[in-house]
Amino acid sequence: MAIKLTGGEIYDPAHQVDGKQQDLYIVDGKVLHELPDNEKITETHDLNGCIVMAGAIDLHTHIGGGKVNIARTMMLEDEHAHPHHGSHICRSGNGHVVPSTFSTGYRYAEMGYTACFEPAVLPVNARQAHMEMADTPMVDKGGYVLLGNDDFLLSMMQKNVSQSAINDYVAWILDASQCIGIKVVNAGGVHAFKYNQRRLDVDESGPAGITPRDIITKLSRAVHELGVPHPLHVHASNLGIPGNFKSTLATMTAADGLPIHLTHIQFHSYGTEGDYKFSSAACEIAEAINSQPNVTADVGQIMFGQTITTSGDTMMQYFGHEHAHPKKWTVMDIECEMGCGVIPFKYRDKSFVNALQWAIGLEIFLQVNDPWRVFLTTDHPNGAPFTSYPHLIKLLMNRSFRNDAFNIIHKDAQKMSNLVSMDREYSLYEIAIMTRAASAKILGLTSQGHLGQGASANITVYRKQDDVEQMFAKPTLVFKNGTLIVKDGAVIKTVKGITHVVKPEYDMGVEKSLTKYFDDYQTISLPNFKISTDEMIECIGNEVEVHPCTPK
Amino acid sequence: MQFEHVTCPHCGILCDDLTIEVNESSLKPLNVDHPHCIRGFTQSSFDSVKLPSAKVDGKNVSLDEAINKAVGVLQSSSQPLINGLIADVQACRKAIALTDKIGGVVDHANGKYMRANIAVMQRMGKVKTTLAEVRNRADHVIIFGAEVLDRFPRFLDRILSPEKSLGTENTTNKTITIIDSQAQQDVSKSFDQTNINYLRLDMPNLESIIQVLQSTIQSPDKVDEAESNITKTIKSVYTKIFDSQYTTIVWNTGLLNTDTAEQTVQAITLSIKELMKEIRCVGLPLGGSKGEITANQVATWQTGIPLPVAFMSGTPVHDPVLYDGSTMLENNEADSLLWLSTYSADDVPPETTIPTIVIGHPNMGISKQTTVFIPVGVPGIDNRGLACRTDSVATLPLQKIRNSDLPVASDVLNKINEML
Repeated sequence: MAIKLTGGEIYDPAHQVDGKQQDLYIVDGKVLHELPDNEKITETHDLNGCIVMAGAIDLHTHIGGGKVNIARTMMLEDEHAHPHHGSHICRSGNGHVVPSTFSTGYRYAEMGYTACFEPAVLPVNARQAHMEMADTPMVDKGGYVLLGNDDFLLSMMQKNVSQSAINDYVAWILDASQCIGIKVVNAGGVHAFKYNQRRLDVDESGPAGITPRDIITKLSRAVHELGVPHPLHVHASNLGIPGNFKSTLATMTAADGLPIHLTHIQFHSYGTEGDYKFSSAACEIAEAINSQPNVTADVGQIMFGQTITTSGDTMMQYFGHEHAHPKKWTVMDIECEMGCGVIPFKYRDKSFVNALQWAIGLEIFLQVNDPWRVFLTTDHPNGAPFTSYPHLIKLLMNRSFRNDAFNIIHKDAQKMSNLVSMDREYSLYEIAIMTRAASAKILGLTSQGHLGQGASANITVYRKQDDVEQMFAKPTLVFKNGTLIVKDGAVIKTVKGITHVVKPEYDMGVEKSLTKYFDDYQTISLPNFKISTDEMIECIGNEVEVHPCTPK
Repeated sequence: MQFEHVTCPHCGILCDDLTIEVNESSLKPLNVDHPHCIRGFTQSSFDSVKLPSAKVDGKNVSLDEAINKAVGVLQSSSQPLINGLIADVQACRKAIALTDKIGGVVDHANGKYMRANIAVMQRMGKVKTTLAEVRNRADHVIIFGAEVLDRFPRFLDRILSPEKSLGTENTTNKTITIIDSQAQQDVSKSFDQTNINYLRLDMPNLESIIQVLQSTIQSPDKVDEAESNITKTIKSVYTKIFDSQYTTIVWNTGLLNTDTAEQTVQAITLSIKELMKEIRCVGLPLGGSKGEITANQVATWQTGIPLPVAFMSGTPVHDPVLYDGSTMLENNEADSLLWLSTYSADDVPPETTIPTIVIGHPNMGISKQTTVFIPVGVPGIDNRGLACRTDSVATLPLQKIRNSDLPVASDVLNKINEML
């Protein structure tokens, strides 16, 4: 039983295939380049005039966990304004900015995405995040668990414990929370906010006497030494503050040359020049990425319109709450681990700051030379809902379209941006890198993000069109593990997807001190805090795939 | 046989430190002494030889027959109400899926106690905290209504009176200010801890006291020449907030007048947001004693909106006035009722004359008018489950600690759904 995809132009950057016409076969959910002798073709798709890529992978999208439900609750008007009818195969739902879980899965699949990664899993809320993701069909999922503001890590650092002890704790938390990566949000800042500290710079000590730099250094080394494929995923200090590019540059150096991923870097690339004391530092940031091969980033592009920001960064969310639109905001301190802040925002092209934020994001995309090290995100929903990706791709691929859009933003913002001078246009090959090949590589998903022999048959087929926004918004075919799930931009079959995790090895002795910590201070016992793989499958509803780690 | 680290779903705190002795089918908590916590488990004991049977119109039938009848009731109904939802995540998921399919209304038995907190969250957001933050970070806790401590029996011991905390002496020995009005019984003698400051103010209700506190917070410098004792007392609370590092304000909407609870929660929220300009102060609404936090979380992620949710138009719609479950029953706006209630034999369906399907606790006493009764396993006893805590953040596993032949609620709901 084989499916033949014939005549399509293949974009598979993992194998340096750039638009070559080539037939592919799908057998048992895998991609094959030749038809095995014993297989018969049962289905053929003529893909002449089509572009074929691996299924897209979003490495930073807030799709599950308590903060998303807070956002849904606060955006009732948006939910009701965007109802989604169910069908005999699909559940009904609501929402554009923060859709219900089923709708999220359907919309992603309809855009050709086959995997999404939730970047802010609170350890104590991990069960809920996984439950929401289990109810997000169509795509594979995974999560980055939050450390770096938790009292346990800070107390370890206060005691100056060894790096290997920290490594054990990091590995244990990955295991206990069923996640694939470690994220740190405003290292130490969220903890400091609980002590009414309203700002914390990279080399400033927080209430625990630890600097954000110390935390980044220890955690990036732990992730590296454990051999976790995904580098430490860092939401840097001072999000949104004019002049914060300096702390972003300092954060990059805190990794001491080890791999580090700076997330939604647009929000961290601001200078203080000009009449508004707010300027683009995209050039400095892009240059720093270009010159430091250990650094990767996703952009967190903003788009104009209504959205809601959901973040673990209580300190900076509280700072930004006066800009809320509509005027409402939520801030939570959470369980001696983290916090969260949820604030609706409306980005306006006639606002100087918003217009420049939009331009800064694009400037970063266009000035980072290596598409393997810059990723296409809007930090859904913080910069814009994920459904704006096709529009963003068009902005990157079409200079005249981009310049037309630039010409209608706030005039003073235009004066402060050199965007029109940038003539770079992303190619389809580069888009395939930043939305597929590089995402899979940086997550350690060896069978995804490419179309090589034996790859998982997650395949997206677009009918070539002059308007790439239209093209990327509505793929003609999407296969998930070899099953045709989307045809002409609509779901035709539902599938569940699985959860990708890592389980680096660690010394179980770490549970001795953790058990004492949980017994002395926490409100949940350690055995109930941990999520076992059989609980993931039997209760939460997620099949788990463990990816290997190579300890250094 | 003894089971440790058992989670108790009988109040929103979800204590998970219980040791339960299971002797055949009888259950006995060994390390808690509050009658509510003990009864939560002992009431689920039964004689395994006489397992309750599924029933149709009061007569014992097989599970399949009961499911067939339930399907028939729902299929012949034009506006079914799925209510109760006193259940784990798995059963709530399936109950909402079923309502989506048949185009009914789904709400929780305690729906009316959830509305105020949700409405204020929708309109202005919140400043909140979680139990471990209170345990370790709070040096001052204000509780509106001493009865909160009865409703959440181990809150005082487990959360507010820790042996150790991550903070200072002041976070271990917190100052606890409990405020009652004249409407509440004087319970001053119940508290012998020196760190508890019990205030019973000469005001008609908690709402009035909260309004005075809000006024004081918003205009602290306003000099009142004829300052009453009430004003002086509230000002002392205000001063204590400013003298503290991390004040937590605790309330339970069940103790507030339902008609005005939204304004009262709004007053608390505005007060906290005003205080946040200078100091740290957070809210902790307590609730979820019948699993309403769990049900609401599931509804919100599955449909994008909180309970109650109506599916009649083909898409999920939230309207707490139109679709309040208990009001619909009172006004005869539903023509069938599916009552899901798995934790306690006490949570029986409301009296109604419309055809009723009960997917319920095995020891539940069922009236003869009940069309279909399907006894199911108790989550956290007979089957594994998942539950969300009062702070809407922590989620806990419910263990299986007894072998019984009772079906699992989520399986029953799924089967009904598949046959519809």
